[in-house]
Amino acid sequence: MFGKLREKLKKFTKQVEEKIEEEEKAVEAPMAGEEIQKAVQESTETEGEKPGFLGRLLQVEIKEKDIEDALDELEIELLEADVALETVEALREKIKEKLVGRKVRIGTNKGKIIEEALKEAILEILTPEKKIDLLQMIKSKEDKPFVIAFVGFNGSGKTTTIAKLAHWLKKNGFSVVIAASDTFRAGAIEQLEEHAKRVGVKVIKHDYGADPAAVAYDAIQHAKARGIDVVLIDTAGRNELNRNLMDEMKKIARVTKPDLVIFVGDSLGGNAVVEQAKQFNEAVRIDGVILTKLDADARGGAALSISHAIGAPILFVGVGQGYEDLRPFDEKWFVERIFGED
Amino acid sequence: KLGQALNSALKKLARSSTVDEATIKEIVRDIQRALLQADVNVKLVLQLTKQIQKRALEEEPPAGVSKKEHIIKIVYEELTKFLGTEAKPLEIKHKPTVILTVGIQGSGKTTSVAKLARYLQKRGYKVGVVCSDTWRPGAYYQLRQLLDPFGIEVFGDPEEKDAVKLAREGVEHFREKGVDVIIVDSAGRHKEEKGLIEEMRQISEAIKPHEVILVIDGTIGQQAYNQAMAFKEATPIGSIIVTKLDGSAKGGGALSAVAATGAPIKFIGTGERIDDLEPFDPKRFVSRLLGLGDI
Repeated sequence: MFGKLREKLKKFTKQVEEKIEEEEKAVEAPMAGEEIQKAVQESTETEGEKPGFLGRLLQVEIKEKDIEDALDELEIELLEADVALETVEALREKIKEKLVGRKVRIGTNKGKIIEEALKEAILEILTPEKKIDLLQMIKSKEDKPFVIAFVGFNGSGKTTTIAKLAHWLKKNGFSVVIAASDTFRAGAIEQLEEHAKRVGVKVIKHDYGADPAAVAYDAIQHAKARGIDVVLIDTAGRNELNRNLMDEMKKIARVTKPDLVIFVGDSLGGNAVVEQAKQFNEAVRIDGVILTKLDADARGGAALSISHAIGAPILFVGVGQGYEDLRPFDEKWFVERIFGED
Repeated sequence: KLGQALNSALKKLARSSTVDEATIKEIVRDIQRALLQADVNVKLVLQLTKQIQKRALEEEPPAGVSKKEHIIKIVYEELTKFLGTEAKPLEIKHKPTVILTVGIQGSGKTTSVAKLARYLQKRGYKVGVVCSDTWRPGAYYQLRQLLDPFGIEVFGDPEEKDAVKLAREGVEHFREKGVDVIIVDSAGRHKEEKGLIEEMRQISEAIKPHEVILVIDGTIGQQAYNQAMAFKEATPIGSIIVTKLDGSAKGGGALSAVAATGAPIKFIGTGERIDDLEPFDPKRFVSRLLGLGDI
């Protein structure tokens, strides 16, 4: 899935490693083998105290010029993996911060040091301030139901994602009802009803043109009366520049007071997705993100960009059109996927 | 934000008395950033800006034109040349003309089909629409809800699972009715779904469309090129509709689709309403890509 990105990061590591080795050779050259042995020994002895003259000689410092070229190349590769430009720049700074000025002892595994720095930089970009354990959150809420509102751009996959999540919640022992609050797009209600029938949950609906907030409110009342655990609110797709639709979304949030607002983003999207996420986050605070269509050979860059842009965790990724094709996401898994062997 | 950055770079250039190589390189880099942020394919950006830089360094501006103005002109020329300088309209020559629309999930095919049907109806054509999407629930109802108000007939069957059969029967149905244009909507798919790509190829072979239209999301990123390529390999893509250009997306990914398919953009989608479809204008599109507004 992230093979391409992995390849590029490995390439970066190798390039920087070679640069440093060049400098090492320059340091080593004047010394004969035996002297090096001795020097290493001495410097080991003095470690922890002030490094002696030879100790200083035996380490090279990573300089900006060592990584500049490799960073330029990595920048292009990250852009090709759909990491947004501003995220690429932030990542670049972080990598520099971690590597430039770092002293590396001769003979140590430099590749590992560089790779670790890369991993740390990516993990820092990806890791949001707070984490969400969805099942735990639902369980610990005292007065049912737990309300989740889904928002996003047109065609990003909200309705299908809601069906998948309903299926997942049911598997985990929760009862679910869905509010058909997309009362605008043609076919939206029929689509949701068909999904709901297949995964075995009820849909609360009004007619097309009805007030989306009222539909969601009814669904919550329905859940309250029947002791249903979770309400999932499907909303119409909207674009971030349409004032009326953004206001409508705010109203839905005001009326239903959701426990969680989830932004559904298309992982095939480029820089535009970051802009969308920011605008949505400004209008209604986004608590979590679900990235869809990751199976379409998406390079995964959107995951980095969205987390970086709005600081909300990615909860799931969609990897197909079947109901099982929803996978819980965590940053460590993602980074392991990028760096791990296939 | 980026449009502004680009503008200020160009202003900086206007202020400086001499334009040397360094200034040109700086401008080219700003243009690169503008295009990358607009989601234009990275390789394409490098290729285009190399050409722009070469011309900017070599060409002398004509009398009365400043170096700065000349560079902007070069950028415009190179980009519009790439997009096909003039708008290419959709041609309805055969009776009936059969059109097949294809694209990735959620790119806006179904809405675009309805928009196109209405667009053609307004121009006096009798149109029939076939729903061959057997996959997404509600697809047939979506088309009916969009087109019933205009009296445009939709052929489809939510119970039928064979997309190729539906497409074939639908085209046959409208052929007998003597309509001018038959538009076939198909299910969303992407290049990794080999079975669905094969299904699309079979639909295309069964109905032999006069025109295959690739519908592409204006917000798509760097994968646009590879995805468009996969569609082209399975069906003869003849034209492109870029959707969702009413938001902040600049549609740079669509440029990659043009590059991959060699097909021209014929329409853009600018909203959810059925009338939000405009014939494509290369000059306006380039302004948008560079974040410069209409000039």
